Amino acid sequence: MTASTTAKARILFVDDEPRILTTMRMLFRSQYEVFFAESGQKALDLLKVQAVDVIVSDQRMPGMTGIELLRTARDLNPNAMRILLTGYSDLNAIIGSINEGEIFRFVNKPWSNEDLSVTVARAVAAARTSAALSAATADNIGAPAGPQPGVLVLDDDPSVPTKVQSILGSDYRVFGATTMEEAVNLMERERIGVVLSDTRVQDHPVISLIGTLKQHHPELVSVILTDRADAGQAIELINQGQIYRFITKPIHDNQCKITVNSALKQHERLSQNPELHKRYEVEATTTPPPTATTGTGKFLDRIRSLRSWVKRA
Amino acid sequence: MKFKLLLPAIAAVIAIGILGFLLKMTQSVDSNLHRARLENIRAVDNLDIELNRMFTQTRASSLAGSAADRTKITQRLGKDLDALDKGPTALRGLNKDLDKKLDQFLDTIEAKFELGFDFEARNTLLNQGLVNNMDAVPFNSDAVLAAAPAAKQEMLKPLIMQLKTELLTLSVTPAPNNAGTIRDLISQMKAGTEAPSEAFTAAMESLNGNCEEIIQDKTEMLDKLSSFLGRPTGAQLQAVEQAYTAWYQGEVANANQYRVILVGYAALLLLILAWLGIRLRRSYGELDKANGKLVDANEHLEDQVEARTKDLSSALSDLRNSQAQLIQSEKMASLGQMVAGVAHEINTPLGYARSNASIVRTTLADIRDLCSAQDRALTLMTSADASDEEVANALSDADERRQLVNPTEVMGDLDNLLEDTDHGLVQIADLVSSLKDFSRVDRSRNDQFRVNDGIDTALKICQNQLKNRVEVIRQFGDLPEIECSPSKLNQVFLNLFTNAAQAISDTGKIFVHTSAEQNGVSIRIIDNGCGMTDEVRQRIFEPFYTTKPVGKGTGLGLSIVFRIIEEHGGTIDVHSVVGKGSEFTIRLPLKQQRPADNETAPSLAAA
Repeated sequence: MTASTTAKARILFVDDEPRILTTMRMLFRSQYEVFFAESGQKALDLLKVQAVDVIVSDQRMPGMTGIELLRTARDLNPNAMRILLTGYSDLNAIIGSINEGEIFRFVNKPWSNEDLSVTVARAVAAARTSAALSAATADNIGAPAGPQPGVLVLDDDPSVPTKVQSILGSDYRVFGATTMEEAVNLMERERIGVVLSDTRVQDHPVISLIGTLKQHHPELVSVILTDRADAGQAIELINQGQIYRFITKPIHDNQCKITVNSALKQHERLSQNPELHKRYEVEATTTPPPTATTGTGKFLDRIRSLRSWVKRA
Repeated sequence: MKFKLLLPAIAAVIAIGILGFLLKMTQSVDSNLHRARLENIRAVDNLDIELNRMFTQTRASSLAGSAADRTKITQRLGKDLDALDKGPTALRGLNKDLDKKLDQFLDTIEAKFELGFDFEARNTLLNQGLVNNMDAVPFNSDAVLAAAPAAKQEMLKPLIMQLKTELLTLSVTPAPNNAGTIRDLISQMKAGTEAPSEAFTAAMESLNGNCEEIIQDKTEMLDKLSSFLGRPTGAQLQAVEQAYTAWYQGEVANANQYRVILVGYAALLLLILAWLGIRLRRSYGELDKANGKLVDANEHLEDQVEARTKDLSSALSDLRNSQAQLIQSEKMASLGQMVAGVAHEINTPLGYARSNASIVRTTLADIRDLCSAQDRALTLMTSADASDEEVANALSDADERRQLVNPTEVMGDLDNLLEDTDHGLVQIADLVSSLKDFSRVDRSRNDQFRVNDGIDTALKICQNQLKNRVEVIRQFGDLPEIECSPSKLNQVFLNLFTNAAQAISDTGKIFVHTSAEQNGVSIRIIDNGCGMTDEVRQRIFEPFYTTKPVGKGTGLGLSIVFRIIEEHGGTIDVHSVVGKGSEFTIRLPLKQQRPADNETAPSLAAA
């Protein structure tokens, strides 16, 4: 995995428990160049002098939380992939890590060495492939090619798309769907850049749809808009769906507008730079959707078949 | 209220006053008095007439008794006149006209009395003179006859007879008109005699004198009498009577006028009374209706009270239920928070222990390979059959593996990993034991409890909130064990430590001091956090009172603390200074007051 570049990838581990760091050294020293910090502040100090490819941080630390660290690290070292490794986190911490930290993965303690190795390896690969690019293209997003990509709003409540349209204004193309089938139908017809979805639609979790979309159409940007926030779901959504943002209802006009704008920009960035896609790679769905009806399966097939259309865009 | 009563009272008094006045005005005419007055006037009139009659009779008969009668009548008349002037039946003072007429009448009658007295006195003398002259007439006439020539005597005799008759008539007749006749007779007597003798002339003169005196006396008497009778007493009394009657009629008319007014007024009063009656009736009707409603309500009151009581008791039980639910949810919330902390605390050592074990296993696989390679090399070396090449290969393989594994370094690493793992497991065991101590589900609910140990356990449980941030200074006294519910007290400590930790925004200190007291222990938990205002301090033990943002706290933590301490017969006091920190002081008794029977059942079940 390190073969692609001459130097070993650099990984920074941050945890207030030194024994964790010891274990990490044991685990990764042979493959990567590893760095350690026992607090967020020390990690930032280190990042100022040493760029890294991946940051793996604990969430609960005295002084500075993992999210605070990752948010600052994102500005300091934007290319580094960010992984949160934590024993327990409340929902706010998770939402914060998504929206502010833009993390790659959320790993629970205790972890499995194999899974952690795979995750870190993927992060390293993503960081490596996009390293040269990111700095150059960060501010260089060209004007969108063709028509403005649309915003698909997937929600049980049919009033939500209208609300979103009214918040965004008439310059945006907003499409509403109350079922996943409707959503896929729309995506077949229209050029969609951003999916704004609740966590569940018609009593089915949307995670499989979002995960499949991300797998096959990495340039699609997903935003979760829900009032049924749940820590476990949020972790799944980040790990398996690479959701871009997680916002809660009731809808705040400003927040919604900023989020959708930012998501559309992200979509442009991803469309123009396929090299970045690895950075938003999702985990393979470990468990197939529990109520994997024939309908759902059919959706997934149809979603895969969207590929050609997306390529066209 | 007073004013409201006063006004009708004044109105009633005024109405009654007016009524009284009108009644008095109608009563001012006293018909009895009027009759008495009239009778008095009549009596006066009658007596006056009687007196006149008597005086008139007097002239006719100069009887001696009549004077006494007159005196009697005069006296009665005087009394009646007095009655006219003053006394109950007096006419004086009624009006001016009447007074004037009365005065006139009284003056007249007084003058009449004087005339009467004068007449009385004179009459006697005149009568005497009259009688004397009358007595002298026959004598003198005889003398005339005697003196007269005989021729003439025959002519004189009838004249003298006639004269005597005329004189008698004159004296007896009340109003004689024959004085001329008498004078004629005298003249005739004189004329019939030529050259009368001296005696005749003298006798004639005497007779003439007698006649003249009789006529004179009679005339005087008649004059006096007529003067007496001529006093206008009757007319004046009539005038008085008329005046009085006029006054009386005026009075009666006046009274009648007042009577009309009275009737009108009475009618008005009746109307008012009727109106009041109607109003009273109406309000009585309303009162009756209200009363009916009241009775009705009274009858239904019991039902309503029962229904209300049922509602209230159901509301109360709802409230109790929801309170219990809230307390439960607060417990769950604090439990959740605790679990979050503890989960992190456990997952961290668990994470590296598991990972270490996994590393050890993979490393052991390498070492096993190395061992077996070395084993194989050794076997080949000691085996006679093995070729040198085989041995060399085996040795180089073993060496290659040894270099790859680097046993010295790996053994050190493994030692370290295992040591860390061991440490992690001890930490986990510690935490689990703390949790067990904390919950105390394996211990009786009412147990002997070491407060200091409980505080240690609670501090360990919330270690995650304090670690590297808050310095905890323990100053534990030598405490006797106290009887209490350990899990509940642990919850108290945990809540207080959590609050103290939350009050400290960045870094700070929590000072825990315990000491034995008479029949109990005291625990002081002091933090140098943000403190609180008096307002907040007074309310912190109220259920649902919270200073945390909505959704962050139920506001039940300290109320639960308060309840637990109360249940244990202890006290909790709090002092706080904004910006300096807070101090909670708990005092707990050694023994519980009442053995809680219901608490022993679960403890048996737990045992």
